[in-house]
Amino acid sequence: MYPQQVQQYLRTFFLENNCQFINDTDHYLTVQLTVDMDKRIMNRPYYWQYVETTGGVPSPAQLTLITDQTKLKENIKGELVHFGSPRLNQLFQATHKMGEFIQMFEQVEETINRPILTPWLGVNYKVSYYSNQTKETMYSLGVNLMNGNIITGFHTTLSELNIAPKMPPNAFLLPYVIKPIRGLERLDGVVENYIQQDDHSWADQAKKRWQQDMRVLEFFYEGMEERPESYEMEKTALQQQYEARIKIEIINGGLFYLK
Amino acid sequence: MIIEKSSEWAEGLTKRLENMESWDNWTFYNMSYIIAQNNLITEFTGLQSPKYLTNLKPLEHQLKVAETVIERMNGKAILADEVGLGKTIEAGLILKEYLVRGLVKKALILAPASLINQWVEELHYKFYIPAVAYKKNTPLEHCEVVVLSMDTAKKSPHRELIFAQDYDMIIIDEAHKLKNHKTKIYEFVQSLKKKFCLLLTATPVQNDVFELFNLISLLKPGHLGNYEAFQSAFSASKHDLEHDDYLKELVNQVMVRNRRQDTGIEWTNRQVNIIPIQFTDEEKEVYEMILDLKNISPVFSGAFSMITLQKEMCSSKEATFLTLNKMRQNCTNLEENNYVENVMQKLMALEINSKAEKAYEIVSQAKDKVIIFTEYKASQAYLQWYLHTKGITSVLFNGKFNKNKRDYMKHLFKEHAQVLIATESGGEGINLQFCHHVINYDLPWNPMKLEQRIGRVHRLGQEHDVHIYNLAIDNTIEIDILQLLYKKIDVFEKVVGDLDDILSAFKQTI
Repeated sequence: MYPQQVQQYLRTFFLENNCQFINDTDHYLTVQLTVDMDKRIMNRPYYWQYVETTGGVPSPAQLTLITDQTKLKENIKGELVHFGSPRLNQLFQATHKMGEFIQMFEQVEETINRPILTPWLGVNYKVSYYSNQTKETMYSLGVNLMNGNIITGFHTTLSELNIAPKMPPNAFLLPYVIKPIRGLERLDGVVENYIQQDDHSWADQAKKRWQQDMRVLEFFYEGMEERPESYEMEKTALQQQYEARIKIEIINGGLFYLK
Repeated sequence: MIIEKSSEWAEGLTKRLENMESWDNWTFYNMSYIIAQNNLITEFTGLQSPKYLTNLKPLEHQLKVAETVIERMNGKAILADEVGLGKTIEAGLILKEYLVRGLVKKALILAPASLINQWVEELHYKFYIPAVAYKKNTPLEHCEVVVLSMDTAKKSPHRELIFAQDYDMIIIDEAHKLKNHKTKIYEFVQSLKKKFCLLLTATPVQNDVFELFNLISLLKPGHLGNYEAFQSAFSASKHDLEHDDYLKELVNQVMVRNRRQDTGIEWTNRQVNIIPIQFTDEEKEVYEMILDLKNISPVFSGAFSMITLQKEMCSSKEATFLTLNKMRQNCTNLEENNYVENVMQKLMALEINSKAEKAYEIVSQAKDKVIIFTEYKASQAYLQWYLHTKGITSVLFNGKFNKNKRDYMKHLFKEHAQVLIATESGGEGINLQFCHHVINYDLPWNPMKLEQRIGRVHRLGQEHDVHIYNLAIDNTIEIDILQLLYKKIDVFEKVVGDLDDILSAFKQTI
């Protein structure tokens, strides 16, 4: 993420969380936190405990976040926020927690008197390959909970639709044939299948490097009857360095009622 | 292959379906997706981190080092660029890349005490890595990246506290301090788990090739074979290397080294001058008398103390006097005692210090800032006094100064004084690009120390040609030192590669 993207993100984040902007430029922001947001990100539980037990007037903090120092002409004191900075990671975490599960309905025109909406389960996956290197892939999948149809690029499809958290009036929601949890299992299966089909020469190469380095290590301690602790240590280090692992994470997902 | 998967999300979904918890907000849902997409590491290779480092413009060679270390050396390497090419930046790039890729969660950095704050600052400012300088009660379990000195790390209770952590990456600055495998610090580093490990040193070989063997055996035990195999293959005598090319090849698999001319940056030149100096007759007489001491008393029969005295005599009578006086107290015999006292009288009667005069001559001709390096504190003080009598202002510098004092001295030198007089230990960790004259008043035994000294001024940011003056007194031990320096440089070049001029073309003449 570049500074302008970070700035854009921060604006949206605080706006959506009903925090007021005191300064709002293209390279820094000063924002008045709400009580809720202060509790979430300012990391001062004792203060809040104190205010709440004494019944004092809560005074949530103001936060100045600078996204592009190079453009800063004003004499402003604040936190520098960039991709990789702890503050931004914290906000990413918060965002993640606030947008993990969703239920949305496609909005249909009033003219149709009894629109029928089909339930879908949509899930966004992140698959990470780890050895001494990393590679990550995202999959956005959706499964039709009526007939089990599965489509890829689900999130992109959604962004082209007019969807909202409120059910359109008069809409008829088809009850699902496939339970969402079963739907999730099917999607998991698809992701695992993708992984199986994928090219895993990276893991083979890592294994080869691991074996090579093991040979080198063995050579160093060759002939020693009792191997010192450092030998076991190096062995563990090599395992952690090269062992191929795959991690499947779910970024977010939810139920979607679509036409 | 191991596949990790969590059932947490499925549980969260069930709770929503059963109306036990509320659904989330679409904006955050969408943002979360975009963030994940933006942060995705789509390729095994290539550096992800530099584009996010807005406070840093890495140089071409630094990026290349980071890539090579990660992709070809699998994150275990000796970073051996010449002084002043930015090894810290390279290490920072590598660390950052591994942090971004999630391969490193915790890192330990060992640096000389005087450089700890510099590390912490650079990591914060240039890499946005929240590094912490270790203090007595620093909770290591909560620190992602911690910087501390080798001296602290190897001692209890810090040692045990460090072992209790699980570090994915170890970075060691000034790693040539690990050249001796019999030291406590070597043993300490050996018993650390090294999943990813960087050893930073401009001088991986200082005296002999075993130092390199020790370093590489820390990083990748067995890469150069075990000790016996290495010894029989590579050392008939320590200075004579067979199988040079083979060794060089092995070394290059774990070491990256850039030289100034490889960087594609236009560097100013180094003009190295050897300045021969003649003792006055009186000085020569005292020097000869000191040489004779070993025939007079067993107190002076040790080779080491004789060498020290000779070196000191080439530096200043003040330095010589201190040692001589100390040794005289060990003389039991009156006759011996009288002889030594006679030498001391002659010594203190000397009115001229030929070397100091030459140094003054250079300083006054330079009409510019000059750094003088000496090996002795007594000479340092003497030089300051001597230059003062000639109307030349100077400040003193040594490695024991804390960060504030260093910065202050640097400031004084930059703004107010013409000369900075530093002792050896002041060589590391101070950057003086605004100066371009260096006088090596005394020569160290170790060519890498010379390189470290010159590196203080001949580094990125230097705009002028750098003038180096190596002072050596004819017909004294200093000529031997010069020859030995060349021999050592030869070893270095055979296994590591060329060294920049540090001694000048004198080489051809010996």
